[in-house]
Amino acid sequence: MQLVGFPVVAGIVLLAFVANAKKSAHEKLNNPIRMASFAFSLGLFAYTTAMFFDAFADITTSGLAFNDYKFQDSYEWFPALGIHWTVGLDALSFPMVWLTTFLLPVTIIATWHEKNGATYFPTLLLMGGALIGVFVSLDLFMFYVFWELTLIPMFFLILNWGGKDRKYASQKFFIYTFTASVVMLLGLVTLYLMQPEQIGAGGKYGTMTGRTFDIPTLVEHATAANQNGWFLGESMQKVLFVMLMLGFLVKLPAVPFHTWLPDAHVQAPTGGSMLLAGVMLKMGAYGMFRLPLSMFPHALQHFQLALMIFGMVSLVWGAIVCLGQTNLKKMVAYSSVSHMGVILIGIATMQPMGWAAALFMMFAHGIISPMLFAVCGAFKHHYHSMEIGAMRGMAKHSPWLATSMMFAWMASLGLPLLAGFVAELMMFIALWYFIDLQGWSVLWMVGPALVLALTAAYYLWSMQRTIFEGGDETQPPASLNGDVVPDITNEEKMAMLILAAFTILFGVMPWIGLDMMDDYCRTFFEHMISNGIFKGGA
Amino acid sequence: MAGSTLSEIATPEITELAPLIVLLPMIAFAVILFLGRVFNGNPTWKNTVKEGGIIALGVMGAVLVLSLLLIADFIGSVQAGHDSVFHWFTSGVWDGTSAGVSTDKFGFGLYVDHITVMLLFVAAFLCLLINVFSIGYMNTDPINDNRNHRFYAEFTLFCSGMLGMVLADSFLWLFIFWEIMGLCSYLLIGFYYERPSAAYAAKKAFLTTRVGDVFLMIGLVMLWDLFGSLDYTVVFDSANIEHVAEHSAGTLQWALGLMFIGAVGKSAQFPLHVWLPDAMEGPTPVSALIHAATMVNAGLYLVARMFPFFGAEALHGDLADLAYIIAVVGGITAVMAAAIAFVQMDLKKVLAYSTMSQLAYIFTGLGCALYLANTLDWHHNEKDHYIVIVAFGAALFHLFNHAMAKGMLFMASGSVIHEVHHAHHHLHHHDDHGDGHGDDHHDEEFDAQSMENMGGLASKMPITATAMLVGSASIMGLPLIGGFWSKEGIIANAWRVAQDDPRFLLPAMCVLIGAGMTGFYMSRMWLKTFAGKPNNEVAAHVGPTNIWIKTPLFILTFVSLSSVFLAGMGFTHWAPDENYAFMQEKSLVDGIIYEMQHAFANSDAYFFIITYIAIAMGAVAGPGLAMALYGGKLEDGESAKPWMTPVISLNAWVMNRFNFDNSAFAESTLAVALQNRLYIDHYYDMAMVKIVAGLSNKVAQADSDVIDGTIKTIETGSQSLSTAVRSLTTGSARDYILMVAVGMLAIFMLVWGVA
Repeated sequence: MQLVGFPVVAGIVLLAFVANAKKSAHEKLNNPIRMASFAFSLGLFAYTTAMFFDAFADITTSGLAFNDYKFQDSYEWFPALGIHWTVGLDALSFPMVWLTTFLLPVTIIATWHEKNGATYFPTLLLMGGALIGVFVSLDLFMFYVFWELTLIPMFFLILNWGGKDRKYASQKFFIYTFTASVVMLLGLVTLYLMQPEQIGAGGKYGTMTGRTFDIPTLVEHATAANQNGWFLGESMQKVLFVMLMLGFLVKLPAVPFHTWLPDAHVQAPTGGSMLLAGVMLKMGAYGMFRLPLSMFPHALQHFQLALMIFGMVSLVWGAIVCLGQTNLKKMVAYSSVSHMGVILIGIATMQPMGWAAALFMMFAHGIISPMLFAVCGAFKHHYHSMEIGAMRGMAKHSPWLATSMMFAWMASLGLPLLAGFVAELMMFIALWYFIDLQGWSVLWMVGPALVLALTAAYYLWSMQRTIFEGGDETQPPASLNGDVVPDITNEEKMAMLILAAFTILFGVMPWIGLDMMDDYCRTFFEHMISNGIFKGGA
Repeated sequence: MAGSTLSEIATPEITELAPLIVLLPMIAFAVILFLGRVFNGNPTWKNTVKEGGIIALGVMGAVLVLSLLLIADFIGSVQAGHDSVFHWFTSGVWDGTSAGVSTDKFGFGLYVDHITVMLLFVAAFLCLLINVFSIGYMNTDPINDNRNHRFYAEFTLFCSGMLGMVLADSFLWLFIFWEIMGLCSYLLIGFYYERPSAAYAAKKAFLTTRVGDVFLMIGLVMLWDLFGSLDYTVVFDSANIEHVAEHSAGTLQWALGLMFIGAVGKSAQFPLHVWLPDAMEGPTPVSALIHAATMVNAGLYLVARMFPFFGAEALHGDLADLAYIIAVVGGITAVMAAAIAFVQMDLKKVLAYSTMSQLAYIFTGLGCALYLANTLDWHHNEKDHYIVIVAFGAALFHLFNHAMAKGMLFMASGSVIHEVHHAHHHLHHHDDHGDGHGDDHHDEEFDAQSMENMGGLASKMPITATAMLVGSASIMGLPLIGGFWSKEGIIANAWRVAQDDPRFLLPAMCVLIGAGMTGFYMSRMWLKTFAGKPNNEVAAHVGPTNIWIKTPLFILTFVSLSSVFLAGMGFTHWAPDENYAFMQEKSLVDGIIYEMQHAFANSDAYFFIITYIAIAMGAVAGPGLAMALYGGKLEDGESAKPWMTPVISLNAWVMNRFNFDNSAFAESTLAVALQNRLYIDHYYDMAMVKIVAGLSNKVAQADSDVIDGTIKTIETGSQSLSTAVRSLTTGSARDYILMVAVGMLAIFMLVWGVA
């Protein structure tokens, strides 16, 4: 499918072009390569937006059955093993794909003047292509290939354009998440091997192995098997569920598997952080929906409480750690951990509304967190420091940056009519509905809900010490050595405006994205309920 | 009787223009912000458009006209009007049975009933007047140059939030607009961002109200669970309430109670009151509009909206405890805030504590009204019906009177501060020119808000002094003026409930004592500012104020003085009821006569005595004590307007006759505690620093030491392991990636092999 191929190929072609050129010519290549990458990413964005109007805008009326995909496309890859190049989009993956193509041009704009642009921008394209690949894959093998492929451009983004400790951070990022995905890979391979052998069944089944990597086929098979017991048997389903979830929980990340994230974010360049927080973290949540939740619903019900605890701990722990941070970017990174807790809780409620909340949170956080990191990047760029309190009275010196920061911070703390609020609201409704069904006390609500106040506390406290204060004789931070304090560049302003506009758009009109997500969750649950897989008293 | 015809009249439709009431200010927000960015510094923009002030004024004028059209349709209407505007999103829940997933729609619409009508008028009217005031106040102060557009933008956004909250058709959208107001409050308190105290106050306001909002949100979520919706049309439906009452009346009380905590935060009631006095860091128009007249009423509005639950037959007696809690929180706050107001020297802080105290009165009034609605058989018994409606009406009417009077008082105080500051500026410039501090608005040594720098201003600022006098009288409940009609009602109702339920003696006692305390601190404020001799040279040089400031003062003085007519028109029993609706029961003259009789010659001895005790405390004892201690004759040769002369002469006479030394009290532990706001803020700050900040530092430490430490241990462990196989490792990450690729290939082969 063009969506995956184009950015990857374009990225490689541009990189090869640059690599061929003399080192001295790189400077001259920066601008044409940037323009080429930008134009290309805009084209992709236009393409996915057209796809939205074509197929997803009216999904609630047209509907999409469970395990049914639009734009499905399949080519044989290794037919002997049942490996195919199968792609397709549904209401779960499309928002993520659109988000990726949206963030690519915005990231390019926000980091317009990044050094070594000739190699930087193609790397971003590669990154985008790999991410899209993860979301459109409907084949386990292909999914895993793209899953790992995303690590490589991100690794180089951190290593080549990162901060002082970039070596340590990039390696930690790579090894940590890779180790987790090895566990996941083991799970995937086991799943492949454990499925009933159907030699000669044709279709997506391997001609030699009689097994398949095809996700729709597996899901269909799993649904049939789950109706009368556990697909693959009870203990195997549980083990596989845990193995897959482990890989996804590290990627998300959930406490206590999160410590790679702050290191990676603090060292990553702005563009890397924007894509990392905006899309890459969501691969974890996306993977959960696509694989374990779809195939192992019994195990999901079994581990529901464990997931709930992971979610609550992430939410609360992340928020408390944020309050103790002195580094702006680290604080924002931990706020991501906290918000990913919202996604986990949403999933663990086992309510359509909770799942829709998780999906919308993935999407909303995908717009808000790049803005958070764009602000951090601009802050670092102009004040040469990430310490909260190093620079006070920003409203005076850099009104644009101050306004952007306040907007992004407010969006992230869940201000109504901005994108994040709807997701949080739905999560809380679903959580209380769950707690009420369980017969638990209202106190279980108070902890997660108080995080709303904690979140406000760390964001407001940091704003008090950056945007405000300073008195009449506001000094630029010592790190500037008396230089004049500039406001952000026009490109940065443009990126902030775009991100802010979309945050407002999806905050005021959430239905644009939420209607299809609701349709997905509704279909999912109705499918599971009507097939007797989700039963009462869970 | 007029009622019979009323019920035949169909419910009026909400006009299609009504959403503009919310939308117009929101658009103005964006427009002013944008134009301000573009035209900042342009002389036309600055002098003619007043940096956006004129745009805001135009929009607020349009909003008031649209609101009045809507009000004209709905005033006196028995039925509430409802109109859906747009669909927001759909979602569903699964109840754990095989029935499938529910379809729950969330949308936005407008809902207009008698409470909306009252609040809508208060909001639209005061937004316009305070906008006029702002042009006179903000645009004449050099410190605001080139940043007024930010003020007007945030001001209009606030108005949009307030009007939206009042008009919204569900608790969900009430909450959404509630938060928008919170944001504007935050931005406007921190308007002078460079001042650390303003930055601190802004944060404190947002966080304190946010704590309340957290509980409000839990309450809303629980309410949603009970009704499957937050739309008023669904949750107020008596069949739905009956259904919920059958098995979850207790949960409903919890939900409403948690929502009430949100109201406590927003309306600055004990124990979430600490933000309001600090919020006075904002420009005075902000204090007048947001922190006195409109936003702080949001909490009251929320509680008033809960009336259908308390009044439901199905829930008879089930919510009485919550009503009691509401009344008690109000009672405690009323007394506490009034006591702290005794010792404040800052003009605006006195008013802030007064706001807190008066809002507490309304809470007590609402608590009593809700208690009566919940325990009396008011659906069938005509007498009980009347009692409930009058109790609820008194609380709503006090909301109205307080908003008008307090908005005016803040504007008047702004007028004083503005002129004191100018006088200081003027003097300062002449005294030590060349010192370079001439245009320093906030220099440390001079505080334009302190009453120490005022005194004897009655002769210099006649309109302001009159407005302040009328406003104070209205707040004190001086007979016939403004708040008298509603405050008497609240006190009488508290004592009525205390007859039924002795628990209510506490709030009833509080509001009665509070009346005397109000009389004292409001008189003290007026006397210290306007009577006596100027305290220093600055006060002696204060001049009159400009027309933009005078106009709203004049209008609001008139409104407060004409309260008796409003009472006669039926504001004291403001209810969607064919027998008691606006102007339906009797003619204006009959109405006034009835209210007079009711207030001064009540046939019930119990209420007769209560009324006169309240009058004696609020209008005689309190002001008398203040007169004995503060104020005095004006400077020789200065004279006040004739209507203020008696007050000043009386003051001088009382001071001569009953003067005593209160220095023993001023140095007592109690006075010191009051000056320190009873140490509540202090303990909150300590808790924030010691517990929250301390815990977060510990947790952050644990995060890097324990969780990341474990990972690092594994790292170093595997590193030392790898020393053994160092020949394979180069230490270069690029090689590792190669190995990853090889590893993937190996696994791939493995799969192949097994297969």
